[in-house]
Order: sequence, then C-alpha cells, then structure tokens
Amino acid sequence: MQRRYRTIKDLKINESAKAIAFEDSNLACKLTSMGVLPGTRIEMIRTSPFGSAYYVKADGVRLALREEEAASILLEA
Amino acid sequence: MHGDVDSHILKIALIGNPNSGKSTVFNQITGLRQRTGNFPGVTVEVKEGSLHFPNGQEAVLYDFPGTYSLYPTSSDEKVVASVLCNPSDPFFPDAILYVADVTKLEKHLLLFTQLLDLNLPIVLALNMSDSAADLGIKVNVPKLTETFGVPVVSISGRTGHNTMRLLLELEKLVQLNSALGRKPFYVFTETEKQISEAIRLNLAIENPYRALLTAHHYQWLPFLKKSDKDTIDAINDTKKFQSLRTQVDETLERYDRFTPLAKQAVNAPPVFPNTVTDRIDAVLTHRWWGPLIFLFVMLLVFQAIFDWSTYPMDWIESGFASLGELISTRMPATWYTELLTDGVLAGLGGIMVFIPQIALLFLLVSILEEIGYMSRVVFMFDKTMRRFGMNGRSMISLISGSACAVPAIMSSRTIGNWQERLITIMVTPFISCSARIPVYLVLIGLAVPAIKIMGVFSLQSLVFGAMYLLGLLTALAAGWAMKRWLNRREHSFLAIELPVYRMPHWKNVMLNVRENVWAFITGAGKIILVVSVALWALSRFGPGNAIQEAESVARMESMQKGADTTATEELVQQRRLEASWAGQAGKWMEPAIRPLGYDWKIGIALLTSFAAREVFTGTLAVLYNMSDQEADINDRSETQAKATLREKMKGEKHSDNGQPVYSLATALSLLVFYALSMQCFSTLAVVKRETGSWKWALVQFLFMSILAYFAAWAVYVAFT
Repeated sequence: MQRRYRTIKDLKINESAKAIAFEDSNLACKLTSMGVLPGTRIEMIRTSPFGSAYYVKADGVRLALREEEAASILLEA
Repeated sequence: MHGDVDSHILKIALIGNPNSGKSTVFNQITGLRQRTGNFPGVTVEVKEGSLHFPNGQEAVLYDFPGTYSLYPTSSDEKVVASVLCNPSDPFFPDAILYVADVTKLEKHLLLFTQLLDLNLPIVLALNMSDSAADLGIKVNVPKLTETFGVPVVSISGRTGHNTMRLLLELEKLVQLNSALGRKPFYVFTETEKQISEAIRLNLAIENPYRALLTAHHYQWLPFLKKSDKDTIDAINDTKKFQSLRTQVDETLERYDRFTPLAKQAVNAPPVFPNTVTDRIDAVLTHRWWGPLIFLFVMLLVFQAIFDWSTYPMDWIESGFASLGELISTRMPATWYTELLTDGVLAGLGGIMVFIPQIALLFLLVSILEEIGYMSRVVFMFDKTMRRFGMNGRSMISLISGSACAVPAIMSSRTIGNWQERLITIMVTPFISCSARIPVYLVLIGLAVPAIKIMGVFSLQSLVFGAMYLLGLLTALAAGWAMKRWLNRREHSFLAIELPVYRMPHWKNVMLNVRENVWAFITGAGKIILVVSVALWALSRFGPGNAIQEAESVARMESMQKGADTTATEELVQQRRLEASWAGQAGKWMEPAIRPLGYDWKIGIALLTSFAAREVFTGTLAVLYNMSDQEADINDRSETQAKATLREKMKGEKHSDNGQPVYSLATALSLLVFYALSMQCFSTLAVVKRETGSWKWALVQFLFMSILAYFAAWAVYVAFT
C-alpha cells in the first residue's frame, strides 16, 4: 500500500513538521490527552539505542513513541 | 451530601497528571501518616494518608494514580474514571484536590475541566511555584479563580510553600459544599446531549457529564449491572454513538476553550529553555553512551545489594544467632526452647535479613525514578524487553534478581502495565540469586574436574557461568512464552512523557523506602515466619515415637562403638532428622526423585531448603554426619567445610544397588534443578504479596518445579 502522507517515522533527526491527524484512534485519545494535538509541531530528536522507538518533542513535551505509534501520526506535507 | 449517617470521615481525592508532583504534595501534607492499600478487585495501588484541617477536623487523603484524562488508556487510569463514575464507591471523594504543574498549565487543565463538569467540590493547586519563579512564569491566581469559579492556590510540594493555605481552602470548601450548581465547562453536542439525557433517566444518574462518561466506559465499568449495560448498549446503538471519536472531539473542544483562558492568566517567557534536560539526554539516551551508562548504573545497583548490604545483613544474622544462643543457654533444653530459637527466632532473622537489600534497592530505584531517569530506561529498552513480554523497567528487576529475588520482585512495582509487571514477577526467580551460590559451589566442586580448558579457562568457572546463563535464558524464554499465553489484546502504548530532570526530593525517597520495607514486613514477613516455624516442626517432630526411638538406637550404637560425646551427638542429630516428618517425606518422595538420580537424603535437603536455598548444604552436612565445625559453612574455613562436605558426598552410596549417589549425572542434574526450581518460600510470599493472591504464587511454583524436574531428569539421562 502506498502512503499518501509522511509520518513521524519519516522525519530526519532535528527535522520537525506539523501533525495533522492520528490514524489510530486509541493513540489519538492518548496523545490528545497528553497535549499533542493536531496542529502541534513535532520535532524528531533521536531514535532509541536499539532502534524502533523515537524521542520526539511536541510543544515543549518530550515524548517516547514506538515505531508503529510514530507511523500512525500523519504530518503536513 | 451522602446518605450514610454513620461517622462519615471526609474523603479527599488527590488527582493530577503524571509528573505533576502529586506524590510530593501528598507526602508534604500527610508526612508519616500514610499507608498503602489496593483498590478493591484491581492491582492498582492507592496510598491513603490522614490530614487535619486548620480547624482540627480530620480527613483521609487518597492519592489516585496519575492520569491525563477521564478517557483512560491503562488500568491505572481506569481506576480514576471508575471511582468518579460511581458515587457509591468506597473511594468516591467528598472533594477533589487537583494538582497541576504550573509550568505546564496548558496541558494540565484538560483533566481539571473534566472534573469541573462532574460538579464535585474542587481546589486547583498550582504546584511547582518554585520552578515557575525560576523560569520567570507569573500566574494571575485571582484571574484563574474568577475564570473557573473554584479556589486556586499556588503551592510548592517541595518547599511546602502555601500548604496551610491549601488546607484552609479545602476546609472552607467542604464546609460550604460550594460545587453544587456549577455551569458545565464543556458544552455537549446534540448526540452527547441526547445520550446523556437518556442514560440519566434510565440509570438515575444526576450529573450529565457522569452519564456521558458512563456511556463511554460502560463496557468495563465494574459496578454496572448486566441490565444497565444492556440499556446503555441499546441507547448507544440507536444514537450511533462513536465513543472513541467523540472522546477525541470532546478533548479537542476542551483545549480550544481553556487554552485562551490559561494564556490570559499565565505570563510566561516566550520559550522555555530547559536546555539542561536536552543536554543531559543527549548523553543519557545516546545510541552508545545510553546503554553503557545504564550498564554502569546497574553495576552500582548490583554492587549495593550484592556487596554493601552484606555488612548489615551479617550484623543481623550474627545478632539473631547470639540471641538464640543466649536463649538456649538460659532456658531448659526442650522443644519449646527450640521452637523459640530454631523456629521463631530463625524466622524473624530470616525476615530481617532481607531488609538491608530491600531498603538499598528501593533507595536507588526511588532516586532514579525521582530524577526522571527511569522513563529514559523504558525508552531505551522498550523493544528489547517487550519481545519478552516485559517493560524497560523490568531490567531493574532482572538485574537485582541476581542478588535476591525478594527485593527484585518488589521493585517491579514501578511497572505500570499489569501484564508486563506480572511477567516480570513470574520470571525474575529464574535469575540465579546469591543463595544459589553455595549450592553451586559444592555441587560444581563435586562434579566438575578442576582442569583448565586451553590452559586458561577453568572448567569449574565455566560451568558456574553457564548456570547464570541458564537462569537468564530461561527467564527470557519464560517471559516470551508467557506473553503468548496471556496475550490479552489490551491496547498497549509506549507513548510516555520524558519528564524534565530534577534533583530528587529526599522526603519522597525516604518515604518510599520506608513504605516498601514496611510492605515487605507486613505482607510477606508474616508468611515467612509461619513457614519457618512449620519447617522447623517438620524436622523436629516425627510420627509417633519414631524420633525418641531413633535417638535411643543411635545412643546405643554409639555406646557399642565407644564413640565420644561429639560423635554421639552428631549421630543422634542425623538419626533424629531421618526419623522426623521431613525425613519421612524424603523417603516417601524417593520414588519420585529417583529418576533424577536423587536418594531420600537429597529429598530431605530439597524439602528443608525451602527455607532458603543455602540450607541445602547445611542439611546435607547434618545427614552426612559432619561435625559442627566442619559443617559451619559460614565460618572462615568455608572452603574447607565445603571440601569436607564434598568428601562425604563422594562416599555416599545408593542403598539398593551400592552405586555412588553423586555421580557426574546426579550432580549436574541437581545443579540444573537448583537453577530452575522455586526453592524459596520467601519469594513465594513476596509474589503473593505483590500479585494480591496465592494464585500466581502457585502457578509460579508449579511451573518452575515441573520445568526444573524435567530439565534435571533430561540432564541425568543424558549424562548416565
């Protein structure tokens, strides 16, 4: 399946982009409660030592996200 | 407010987001007047403490799990929603003390506005006023009070700033009951309005927002009757209610409403620097440095519980030993003196001896948790540990397990996800603990020739290392298997906040250490004491007159041989143990353990070593008739004692066929058995304490015993 949007997974280190939607509604519920909203600018800080997790910054909040969680957050093109 | 007339103590709920400093506020208010319990039916802990209002009135403060919203994603968070949805819940509060981190007010107001709509008396505490001042954040408290129509107090849990003021506001609030008739903060959509209305009418729920929450959560709310659930199901169905979507929409709408309000009241400099945390994280979560530093931190933890704690442990052991000696010299030499010294005192000593390890481990773990390092550990090792059904935090338990499973299992308390915590608890005892070392040393010395491989590696050391590897691999494999077995398709997230690094708050650390030591003493200690006395009784008493008869036979034999007093006493001791219930059980179980190459004497040692694995060597020393000096493995002549025991073991022959008992196959089989079996009731007692029931302790015991049995059997067969 071809992806129409970029996701957090596609961000390079220190690159940032605006989140526009969450594909996974359970995660959407969690992230919005934590203050990560559509429109929030998300910056990729680094990947975890053994890969598969991301350290990101969203509006001053430092977050750890799993690969599949990051892949469900769609970014502005 | 409530119907019950009987002496109703005021209940205050302490609620707030994770990392809001809620626990610090709790400790600041309640100090030492606190204890830990569980929410009924779930394994989520609740701390309760007592507080006194300025007017002297008493109240209970419940520290609810930190949560971001009333739309929960974990079992911890579900508790908060479940209690607040049920006014007849024993934890349902009379008033709420809401703690928000003032430096992150825009994020922390979501849950607050949800609570506002539940129309309970509530105080908004703006915590971390000290950090806010440092960051140049100014808050307009009167403005916030006016906006939300609730008392607002700027406090600092760390310095205790304004605690009295907060209590005063709470006191006024519970007296006035000023919450009633508040205007809802969130305005329902048409669907929400209809659903809320229908549920209110059908279930007699007064508050519209509570009715809406019930519509969202009815499937897992524990207090709802089946008929209620069917009703809600039908209502949601007719309205085509999309729960998850509606939750997100409501959350976003709330943000839209309170963000401008927060902006008006808080005057913050444009960007928070917080570069310190960024700079620390650049190293601590670095691709290479991160794991390396973690390894170093773990070495420190290991050093603390493996080495530093041995000093106080030795004092405790020798203290109890001399107390026992004192009692046995002062009291008549009968069974009740022995009950006191060998049963009760040995049991109490057996409890106390764990305390240094538990206290030290929790001291270090609390500090790591307080400064914010543990979330980074979870971030770094999430994938690695998740493969085995565990959590990054499980690393702490597994590593501490190589000193002792008891504190290690207790340290799993920091794992929020129940399934991950359970798996950690279940597999930690596979890690070879320090109590296995004496058993390994004796058996390896017996079975493995002292040769060097390729002129460098001692074969004995290699086998010793292999035992540790066997434990670790089994733990991981068991975790992997259990993950597949349990596999509740509960939505699991990482999505955690990595909080700003801060200095540990020592009061929190000390209270945490105290709480965990106390939980061990009251939860597991009692069981340890009872089992210790029971094991003593099993090896002290026998069926009918068996013991007395065995003793007189032994004395007669000694007399005929003309043995001296020491030799006589040794023989008496040996024969008495053989005739005791434990000895009987050993003989009775011999057919079961014979396939592993063991005889009944080993059977006795297996039974008695439930007290602690290292008892294995002591029991064999008695059975093989070693003198006290020879047997005192804790003495300076430790190596010598082990060597003597080994000599005796080499001489043992099976009674039926005259073959040596300790062939290579038997010794290796015993090694594997001790590596894998659950030979420690202190651990079982702690598992019972931590999981809340005997069920998991029993599952663990059976699983480990069966695994150990078949693995030992396979090794025996392979080497025979």
